[in-house]
Amino acid sequence: MNFLITIKDTSQQSKNILQIGTKIANAFSANLSIIHIGKKSKAMIEGDINLARITMGEWNILHPGIEVLNWAYDALKELNTIEIDSDTELKPENYVNHTKRITLSIPQSSGQNVELILREGEMIEETSKDIDEFKYDLAILGCPKRKRHIHQVVQFFNASVLIVKNFNKDWTYKIQLCVDDSRATKRAVVFGTKIANHYKKEVKLLTVSKTNLFKSGYRNAHRWAQKYLKRSQIDCESLLISGNPVEIISTEASDNHIIIMGKAKKNEFFKYIWGSKPIHVAQKANAPVLLIN
Amino acid sequence: MYWLPYPDSISISGYRTLILTIMAIILIITEPVPLPATALLIAVLEVSFHIAPPSEVAQSYMNDSVFFIMGSLMMAVAIVHQGLDTRLALGIIKFTGNKVSNIVFGFSLISAVLASFIGEHTVVALMLPVGLSLVRNSKGHRDITNLTALILFSIAYGSTVGSVGTPSGGARNAILIEYLKNLPEPIYLSYLEWILMAYPMVFIGMFTTSIMLKMAFKPEYIHLDTAIRKLKIQVAHRGKITGKELLSIIIFGIVFMGWILLNEELGMGIIALAGAFLYMATGLVEWKDISKNTNWGVILLFSAAISLGIQMKNTGAAQWIGNSIIGYSGDAISNLTFLPYFINILLTTTLSNIMSSSGTVAVIGPITLNMGGDPLFMGMTTAISSAFGYFSAVAAPACMIIYSSGLVKVRDFLRAGWRMVIISILILLLFQAFYWPFIVKFFNIQ
Repeated sequence: MNFLITIKDTSQQSKNILQIGTKIANAFSANLSIIHIGKKSKAMIEGDINLARITMGEWNILHPGIEVLNWAYDALKELNTIEIDSDTELKPENYVNHTKRITLSIPQSSGQNVELILREGEMIEETSKDIDEFKYDLAILGCPKRKRHIHQVVQFFNASVLIVKNFNKDWTYKIQLCVDDSRATKRAVVFGTKIANHYKKEVKLLTVSKTNLFKSGYRNAHRWAQKYLKRSQIDCESLLISGNPVEIISTEASDNHIIIMGKAKKNEFFKYIWGSKPIHVAQKANAPVLLIN
Repeated sequence: MYWLPYPDSISISGYRTLILTIMAIILIITEPVPLPATALLIAVLEVSFHIAPPSEVAQSYMNDSVFFIMGSLMMAVAIVHQGLDTRLALGIIKFTGNKVSNIVFGFSLISAVLASFIGEHTVVALMLPVGLSLVRNSKGHRDITNLTALILFSIAYGSTVGSVGTPSGGARNAILIEYLKNLPEPIYLSYLEWILMAYPMVFIGMFTTSIMLKMAFKPEYIHLDTAIRKLKIQVAHRGKITGKELLSIIIFGIVFMGWILLNEELGMGIIALAGAFLYMATGLVEWKDISKNTNWGVILLFSAAISLGIQMKNTGAAQWIGNSIIGYSGDAISNLTFLPYFINILLTTTLSNIMSSSGTVAVIGPITLNMGGDPLFMGMTTAISSAFGYFSAVAAPACMIIYSSGLVKVRDFLRAGWRMVIISILILLLFQAFYWPFIVKFFNIQ
């Protein structure tokens, strides 16, 4: 599997995202790419900036944005959540300049690949392009400030998405698996089970129906998830609650669960206009939200 | 807008040119489509809106100022490839010593002087690595945000201040000279006459820039002993000036002399193209480097902006806007002689802060020349005030380049920019009121 972590800058929040991202990547032994999206200059002045970068290269001055990747590399070593060959030195000449991205592959002792990537432009747009081009399974990023951006991330990223909110440094999260009749619900259960197994986490299995009458699809999905968890030898607290799904999922998760659920099956146009349950949960919840594609 | 009724005082083609201008400005600022596509759209719509026939539009896309922009961009690539940046670093070390205030003044001065001849983007490309190396070498345990801003802004603002000094300092100056030549009563401003009128502003600007910057950013260190020592070590291996570097300087010297002596016969654009040819013919730069690093899309966009400016003049749209502004101002414009210049400065500065300096002059130059006041002074005021893009990172290439380093923030531009804008406007108004009339009379410029 290939996971992508998006970091905005060299802040503590980016470090938190790296920590949670590497922990999840470890559970799946996934290859890890860390991407930073730098600012793109206005087209009118792009040529002038390229000219300046010719001379900056001759003075071994890093391309702006690379220092964020170097910081990420140091942070990975410091966090020690992933094994990295500590002898690797990050020299400017080791970065490979492709047409739209600058990359550096770093050797990792445990055999997983770790790659640092720099692109320039709008964060959501460029991350989305990288996901489409390199087919990542999961994108991990901090919570965008605007609700509209969260909507875009959930709807347009062609991969599963983990939005890191309210980070818990000690990793004392429980897992809240939300199941319904959506097509991705089974994959969400499998994904959540793997994380729960790897880190020995408690699981809360939750199905919410708007009415008191639970549709058969909901009941079947819940039953299947219970069996799957049992087969995987994970004890779970099973809840079937009626009410507003977004409210209940967010309230039940509080700030000490990772919410895991499938992405909605709705028509893309209606999703764009009205949103969807996962989109609204990602906007409202006060905990990390993992939405499986 | 195309189908809406329009005032009787403007022709239909003038009205359509105005629609196209508004559309072009919005497209250039917001960039919903690539800029070269906007340039193509302008040509298509000039013909489709019956503003001008196809052959006239084609002609308006290529003139001496476009040649100048093309030639100077190609020369910039050639100059940057010669490694003159290390020579500049050596010069700065010798000239300034290790005191921060001297270093800031040194950066402003060298950037300003060079930018007045070879264009600000070339100078910033050469000076930025020197400045960044100094910043990198100064990094210890202390935060040096102010020192970083001080050094980078002294390069950017120094270059911007210098770019008004000669016609070759910026594309906007060449565009304005072209517009002056095409007035009903043409004004032929030579290279030297421009220098006489504008260069004293550069001298004053160098001092005010370093003073204003020091007021905006109090440096964390007073001396940079270690940083300067490390920079010396970095550039020490360069030794004496090489034949290639010398040839590069000689070619630029020839081009410069050509601009001074042959400008009226050959035009600035042809001389700049000759310079680009010499750099290639002597093997100082390869065509593939020029082709790769010249922003052809921007040349196309400038062609389109100049074409739009020409159509604004030809269709009477520029005259109509100028008259409207005079009309709205009422008696104030005849009672207060500085008012048209002040309005001109405000209009140009505002637009160049959100668009770009050369694009601004290309689009609004024909308007400001029709806003009352002496056309020569109004033209010079437009060209010079278009360099007052101190507020924003997008206005001038120099500002955008230092911003792209990621070491200065948007708010830093505001912090230093408001001081620079106020002092620059004051100096410009004083020049227009006292110095230019004297120079024009003394040297009989017409």
